[in-house]
Amino acid sequence: MDAVSARRRAMKRIRGRTLAWLTKPANIVLLVFAVALTVLTLYPLLSLCAETLTIHPGREARAAQQTAGELSLYHFQRLFATRENDYSRIQFYEPLLNTLLVSVSASLIAIVFGGTVAFLVTRTNLKYVKFVSAVFTFPYIMPSWTLALFWENFFKNVNIGLKTSNGIMAAVFGVYMPEWFVYGAFPIALVLGLHYAPYAYILIGTMLRNMDANLEEAATILRTRRARIIRRITLPVVRPALMSTFLLVFASSMSAYSVPVFLGSPVRYYVLSTKMKSLMDSYPGQAYIIASVMICMGVVILLLNQRVTNSRKNYTTVTGKSSRISKINLGRANYPLAILLVVLLLLVAVTPLLTFAMESIIVKAGDYSPGNMTLDFWIGTNLEARLDQGDSTGILLNPRVWSALGYSLSLAAVSAFVAGTCGILLGYGVAKRRGSRLANLVNSLSFFPYLMPSLAFGAIYLAMSAKLPWLRGFMLLALVGSVKYLPFASRSGLNAMLQLSGEIEEAAIINGVPWWKRMLRVICPIQKTSILSGYLVPMVSCMRELSLFVLLVPTSNTLLTTMLMQYSEKGWAQFGNAINLLIIIVVLLVNFIVNKLTGASIDKGVGG
Amino acid sequence: MKKTLSLVLALALLLCAAPAFADVAADVEAGQSMTHDELVARAQAETGTFVVYGNTSRITTAAEDFGALYDIPFESNNLKDQEIYTKLRSETGSGAADMVMIQDGAQLTDAIDEGLVINFVPAGVKDAVSEAEQQPALVHQYINKLFIYNNLGDAVPAIQNVWELTASEMKGRVIFKNPESEKVNMNFLVMCTKPEWADRLAEAYRAWKGEEIDLGGYQNAGYKWVAEFLANVTFGKSDTSIAEEVSQETAAGTIGLFVLSKLRSSSVLTDNLTVAAYDAAANGYAVEPFAGFMYPMYTMVNVNANRPYTAMLFIEYLMSEDGFKPWGKNIGAYSPNPALAVNEGDLPIDAWKACLVMEDADYILESFDVEDFILRHCQN
Repeated sequence: MDAVSARRRAMKRIRGRTLAWLTKPANIVLLVFAVALTVLTLYPLLSLCAETLTIHPGREARAAQQTAGELSLYHFQRLFATRENDYSRIQFYEPLLNTLLVSVSASLIAIVFGGTVAFLVTRTNLKYVKFVSAVFTFPYIMPSWTLALFWENFFKNVNIGLKTSNGIMAAVFGVYMPEWFVYGAFPIALVLGLHYAPYAYILIGTMLRNMDANLEEAATILRTRRARIIRRITLPVVRPALMSTFLLVFASSMSAYSVPVFLGSPVRYYVLSTKMKSLMDSYPGQAYIIASVMICMGVVILLLNQRVTNSRKNYTTVTGKSSRISKINLGRANYPLAILLVVLLLLVAVTPLLTFAMESIIVKAGDYSPGNMTLDFWIGTNLEARLDQGDSTGILLNPRVWSALGYSLSLAAVSAFVAGTCGILLGYGVAKRRGSRLANLVNSLSFFPYLMPSLAFGAIYLAMSAKLPWLRGFMLLALVGSVKYLPFASRSGLNAMLQLSGEIEEAAIINGVPWWKRMLRVICPIQKTSILSGYLVPMVSCMRELSLFVLLVPTSNTLLTTMLMQYSEKGWAQFGNAINLLIIIVVLLVNFIVNKLTGASIDKGVGG
Repeated sequence: MKKTLSLVLALALLLCAAPAFADVAADVEAGQSMTHDELVARAQAETGTFVVYGNTSRITTAAEDFGALYDIPFESNNLKDQEIYTKLRSETGSGAADMVMIQDGAQLTDAIDEGLVINFVPAGVKDAVSEAEQQPALVHQYINKLFIYNNLGDAVPAIQNVWELTASEMKGRVIFKNPESEKVNMNFLVMCTKPEWADRLAEAYRAWKGEEIDLGGYQNAGYKWVAEFLANVTFGKSDTSIAEEVSQETAAGTIGLFVLSKLRSSSVLTDNLTVAAYDAAANGYAVEPFAGFMYPMYTMVNVNANRPYTAMLFIEYLMSEDGFKPWGKNIGAYSPNPALAVNEGDLPIDAWKACLVMEDADYILESFDVEDFILRHCQN
């Protein structure tokens, strides 16, 4: 009798606890996300693993002399341990070393360049700060191949690469750059570094802006030299930001595809992502192994990153900054430094746009005389007879361009909406239950899509959609976009939520305000800019995304970026350049409008 | 709540269930013996948008004319060959292509074996085209990639023998698309190692050097030529950009191996280019042992087609004079149907077949170790 009632009491207690646990919205949110993210990220991951062990039909099955669908270690053996024809060295080990070299260099370049500018902007009295700050995010907003194309067009010459034509540097200034400068590891690392430098600028800048000035002041009072203060106080304080930047830039550079293709292939310089793409065509099993290796490298850096950042328990808060940070007076160096920076930024962010505009109006390649110029590629009609460059109308009169623009915009908007909203909820759940196992799980799962190379991510979802006939077209693209860009949104959501102290919500709870109302009326309005920035980053990234969607689009005319790729592959350079310019203008415009209307901006989205 | 849940579940189940496919193979079988009018009637009775994938840009023009002629709504997509094969494997149900126009005979053989695509030969074509061009896949056209050089300056590479391209002074002056990025290029290099071409390469070597070839460690003359050719090659992005680059005034001394039809492009400075085969013919010799290579473009019905009869009607249309017009109006595309004459200034198909390396799908399919060898030499 006693035993029965004891059991009953225990059952009741468990039920009571479960119910109590479930009444907290944060718990439900976390539970839902734990399930959803497991399906959406762990499933792709597992199917990726399965693909590395499966023989695929066609060439692969024939080469392996096994039947399609069979489980086998063939791909591993072939990719890692084939000496004949130096296969493993060519397909894996050398590209792996190249990838490591390029990604580490790109990360360092981004940190040094972005960090220096962040320091100059936040901690010195540098001139033209507003301009520098606004233009610095341009390279990130623009598609990464923009800079690569520009680099090649600017520096190529008849002594190197194809040895057929001169770029602006050689043609106009008579300067012939050496091959290592124009093609290969150096320009790839540099271009990627410049492209991702805004990460460093934003993450390090936020840290520098919000750091406690007391430490530095104390050191100043004790007459410590400037250099020593920077080395002993400033650098250690920003170290977590340095690590985060390293992680982000490394993971992005590692999976970058178009930059190494443009700047690497003319000198036969290959990295893992380019090898993965070409293997995907004939030996998908090995391509999936490369994808897994890339994910593993990302995870290692993520773990390192967590180690470093976990030691830092306190998060910066919205309020509570006691004193103003003293700014270093640059004195006479101010103007030269500011002008140098402005010129550099103009070169990196504005000249590419001008060259694209120029390339889109000339008929015969390499001839920049006025007689060779036409607006036909923008607004011409009946071009097929005259130019025979594929399309019969200029891009602005081409209905397919407009429908692709519409599709791209709506895809970006939907993905951003889903990712952004999930990011807020996720941030709320994780912040409220900080430290709990469930919160940690959800937090890690939400970062995972970032580490998956876009191309492999797309390939896995393509395989998934083959089994689910309703998962097609827009729905598939939007799902992939939302999941892939969730890390950005969840980061800014989490940062926004961590900055809010608990009392704010508690006041509403005491008054019996329901949860959704608390979110809509209290929490979101307070952190409006941060939250909106969480929508903006996925939106912008989605607009200029190519490799994630390239396998999934119903047709190559679906998105502006896939259309651009098709045009540049066909070699219709003028149409390609025009569309590229159109994409950049649209993205800048979206960024500008959202920024003006709401105050949200890219820098807040990444930095929180 | 329970009701909604069960409704959602039921809906999900419904959506997940595989749609029932019409038996496309049986339709194609029936279509082979239908007259043109019967095909038209069946095609027009089908519903939905007619979807085409092709790895030639001019498929869109052909589809536009076809759609207007028979009042059929269509959607035409110009994709890379590899994308088409990937999509054939993964896309089923609505939205999948009804018909594909595709290159790379080796991969196509695999796709046929896997049952992804079905061959359709219109009744009217059976007598017009040779048996080899009907089976296992119907050839719609041939495309040739030729040695074409810049004719400016003192060191014009007016080659008479492909071994000239392996000379040390040609290092970095030969431009070709990366064989990894387009399989027909890989196929060409693989074919060079096939004994019949290797023998001709050995012969050509003798003619060039005046001595027997020393194979060194190479299996045959084909391997040697491929290795030494690739050592001199710089990889270009696309055939169009290779054509543009080689045609530049600053590009004297360079030679490319690219699609002849690119000479039509307005961005190419055609006057600066000379086609090695034309020059040879004009001067009474031939480039030894080949002046480039040629590969077929095939038409196939997708096994998942939603409009199989429209696909067949479109193939019939493409094989006709009108259907070939988008390609036939320029140089560099050749119908297997001898009744469709080539462009003025171009050579007839038989002349090209005699001087160009053609694909042999069976040999390529067996030769994946040759591809490894080629990849090795695509590296520095």
